[in-house]
Amino acid sequence: MYKGRTRLIVAFLLPATLLYAVFFAWPALQSLYLSLFEWSGIGEKTYVGLRNFRELLPILEVNVDSQFPFLHPSYRDVFFWPSVEHTLIIVILGGVITFGLAFVLTTVLSSGIRGKKFFRMVIFAPNVVAAIALSLLWAQIYNPRHGLLKNILLRLGQEELAKTPWLGPDRALISTLVAMCWVWVGFNLVLLLAAVDQIPQDLFDAAKVDGANPFQIFTKVTIPLIWDVVTIAVINFSITALRVLEFPFIIKGLQCPPQLYTLAIYNYVLGFGRREPIWRMGKAAAVAVLMQIMVIMLILVFMRLFRRETVEYS
Amino acid sequence: MSQKVGGTKVNTQRWRGSIVKELRRIHLYALPVLWSVFNIFCVYWIVMSSLKSNREVFRAPWGLPAEPQFENYSEIWQVANLGLELRNSVIITGASVLLILILCAPAAYVLSRMKFRGSGWLTSIFVAGAGVPGAMLIIPLFVIMSDLGLIDTLHGLILIYTTVSIPFSMFVLTGFFRTLPTEFEEAARIDGCSEFGVFWRVMLPLVSPGLITVAIFNFVAIWNEYTLALVFIQDKAKMPLARGLYAIAGSMIYTGNWVGLFAAVVIVMVPSIIVYILLSERLIEGITAGALK
Repeated sequence: MYKGRTRLIVAFLLPATLLYAVFFAWPALQSLYLSLFEWSGIGEKTYVGLRNFRELLPILEVNVDSQFPFLHPSYRDVFFWPSVEHTLIIVILGGVITFGLAFVLTTVLSSGIRGKKFFRMVIFAPNVVAAIALSLLWAQIYNPRHGLLKNILLRLGQEELAKTPWLGPDRALISTLVAMCWVWVGFNLVLLLAAVDQIPQDLFDAAKVDGANPFQIFTKVTIPLIWDVVTIAVINFSITALRVLEFPFIIKGLQCPPQLYTLAIYNYVLGFGRREPIWRMGKAAAVAVLMQIMVIMLILVFMRLFRRETVEYS
Repeated sequence: MSQKVGGTKVNTQRWRGSIVKELRRIHLYALPVLWSVFNIFCVYWIVMSSLKSNREVFRAPWGLPAEPQFENYSEIWQVANLGLELRNSVIITGASVLLILILCAPAAYVLSRMKFRGSGWLTSIFVAGAGVPGAMLIIPLFVIMSDLGLIDTLHGLILIYTTVSIPFSMFVLTGFFRTLPTEFEEAARIDGCSEFGVFWRVMLPLVSPGLITVAIFNFVAIWNEYTLALVFIQDKAKMPLARGLYAIAGSMIYTGNWVGLFAAVVIVMVPSIIVYILLSERLIEGITAGALK
């Protein structure tokens, strides 16, 4: 029997483990290795040490011609820092908007209003539609000629506002972020609402009897009781937002403009190019490694920030 | 509930009372109603636009199309070869979801029900993959796939989709297996069930809600995926629908054939929405189960 058990363990684990090792773990490790090379994707790789990283993080680049070598880097990557900035805007501002709205909607929908399931279903719906279709939809909503937003504003008599180029260089990122939050709110609403639904009703009733107002009930009763789910939702959100690519990549058409570069898009562009390939595989891998470091850091920070004794209600 | 005599009267009163109650908190309805109206209107708007002529989209953005232009659909269907892409999508998604279940269910079972040296960290390695951005994989993966001659093949894409779905699927399935009580297993063993029999006849049926969750979730994700397909599929004959829509979007934006683009978006969007309307409870339960475990 013991022998049968070992055989079963090996037989059950081997296929998944092999596939995962060869097509997931191995490529991920290779990215680490590749980030130290200059490579066009074909032919010889040239070992360049940390040069790719120095190009991206100019603070590491020592400019020997300057009096203040660390303050005056000799080379600055034009696209990397804007990509970092855009990604952080998406993670932080997007996170505030998404969770702000998700909490408001959770509170409203769990207050006993009618049609809760219907609202939840409709608000979650964008999550099942292809991101490519949604970003094309939003490109049409923002379209300056026949866009939905323009027509709504004209109906409301806002002639001037209707002329706003929503996807113009200064607004493209925020407009795209709105579209992404529209999707993300639905997802997090479902998570939070499910957690709130598990709280026994008498706890809310008791708080009401004790004279707590809705805001107090929310901060003192609801939030502490769903803390674990909030932690999972926030970590999941930040990983998703940090590697976002689909929406900004296509909303302006096939040529994603630098105003919409996220880290994932910049990685893609360095590796596979926009129209003409750039073929800087080593540098692309370095961007990926930095993204991985950011993901790990974010997870650690959130684990720390959110650590708190779980409140039990059973 | 109410007495038979005068039951209607009581019900009417109760009904009126509840209306008054709802009116008193009407402000609560504002946000969810607006949000839902917007979402539903978006679907209406895009379907109506897809049936208009290019001139009408611009001139008469609100109304119904003067004369529904069904040829927008037939045209885009033929030009972009959507029939073939639909077939590719069905093959790729179906095969990937099936493979995910075949690979992950046994592995998750072994990892969560049998303690052996290294089972703990092996589980962690599987689940940790959820924190690895796709950017870490695509370049080396592209090289591996080229070496194996799997670029521009359906089975190559199936292989990739299956692999990248492993972390999430293992997370959910180990969670489900772990919650099962040990009594069933022990009873089956005492009755002389083989190790495989315990898994196949006893444990697997017990986690069927988990299997369904994993299947639906991956189905939606893979059906809608386009960025990995963009890297690994260039051949028009091998494109799945979402990848095809990317190609269409490129050409439509330049040719200004908006209605064709609208029609293509509707073709990609509507099946998902219909499936969703039928399965939404299941799907929402699934997501919740994953997070609340």
